[in-house]
Amino acid sequence: MTVAVLAGTRKGLFVLESEESRTDWQLRGPLLEGWSILHAIVDPRDGALHACANHPVYGATVQRSDDRGETWTRAEELGLSEDSELTLARTWHVEPGPPERPGELWLGGDPACLFRSDDGGRTWEAIRGVLEHPTRDRWMPGAGGLICHSIQVGVHEPERVYIGISAAGTFRSNDRGETWEPANSGVAADFNPDPNPEVGQCVHKVLAHPGRADRLWQQNHCGVYRSDDAGRTWERLDGNGLPSDFGFALGLDHRDPDVAYTVPMIGAENRVVSDGRLGVYRTADGGQSWNLSAGGLPEHAWVGVLREGMASDQLDPLGLYLGLQSGSVFASRDGGERWTEIAAYLAPVLSVETGVWS
Amino acid sequence: MVVVLLPALLATEAGGRAQFELDARTVEQALRQLPIADLVFDEHGALRRLVNVYVDGTDIRERDGLTTTLDGSETLRLVGAIAGG
Repeated sequence: MTVAVLAGTRKGLFVLESEESRTDWQLRGPLLEGWSILHAIVDPRDGALHACANHPVYGATVQRSDDRGETWTRAEELGLSEDSELTLARTWHVEPGPPERPGELWLGGDPACLFRSDDGGRTWEAIRGVLEHPTRDRWMPGAGGLICHSIQVGVHEPERVYIGISAAGTFRSNDRGETWEPANSGVAADFNPDPNPEVGQCVHKVLAHPGRADRLWQQNHCGVYRSDDAGRTWERLDGNGLPSDFGFALGLDHRDPDVAYTVPMIGAENRVVSDGRLGVYRTADGGQSWNLSAGGLPEHAWVGVLREGMASDQLDPLGLYLGLQSGSVFASRDGGERWTEIAAYLAPVLSVETGVWS
Repeated sequence: MVVVLLPALLATEAGGRAQFELDARTVEQALRQLPIADLVFDEHGALRRLVNVYVDGTDIRERDGLTTTLDGSETLRLVGAIAGG
């Protein structure tokens, strides 16, 4: 088994590879040299790489590799229809579909668009239920744009899909993307005249626990949240050990649905790590309390960690990976107790993901 | 034949080819034949805003844009007009 960590940077994709022990890492790259890789994955179903590769001149692409990154193929005719009066600006997140539909992939982009592929990423169809959502005129772009950045397929319920859009909120579909309902009850929008609107929440990252149906975690512009009912209601979890309610990155432990990780940042107007240190915070009780879990991380740091900046693997003990805008990648192979820098001096890291190749 | 020269990133996306020789009567006809046409034009068919096209050294904006006619002896050069990092 080869464990792969994908570091998407502003100047290409880097692949860190290790044996299952995750003690020694070999760096490859840059792949897709010159492209900004906002997100990339190893598809757990077939080992293919998929990358959201964007360029300020040449636009938004999603690319697939079947040889671990040696060669790549761009998706065909990716874009939004003329009648939408929208132009695809960037691809932000690619997510595999359920195991029973091996060709299915989901892709989120800017401006607030979602695509589905049923042929392994060769072609993509825009989801009209998002483009034509009745609340769309109330969605506002965040600092990164009006972006669909979080996509999760329901655990044990492959027809269910969750998306997070900044700043529109979380939405749930129970019919594989045909229709969408807002899922923001209990999530604050403190910047809004109405702090508890139906939509307009600035969700930063949504993850569904892979082993427990209906359990979601959310890092938001205004707090950290957990839902135990598939996003119908959310419980706010900050103020009990976290130095800040603001952040982007979020990680989970596939073995325990009560464990989560976040990287608090000072706040919306100063997006660097809290307390002048790189601090990962861990909860083991569903978010009722949080503790610093940062052995080996720099105690004097003034860096940013973006929404795709943390990933967790599916191994035991748990591996966690953290990518920084300063170009470093840190890894932990004991659930966050100890961290080691496994890459440095890369271009700013925009995304980190992990997967395995057998 | 019209010669089209690509910058490095587009050449990589075109399978490693930086130069194409094409039959074309207009700039648009030439560009549409390229295997990287989707990176030069957006999904609605518009030339991407930051793609500069030069015909024998002259920006097509100073001529007739994409409808600039070609007689087959020209060299087209594509340049990404981006500044900064």
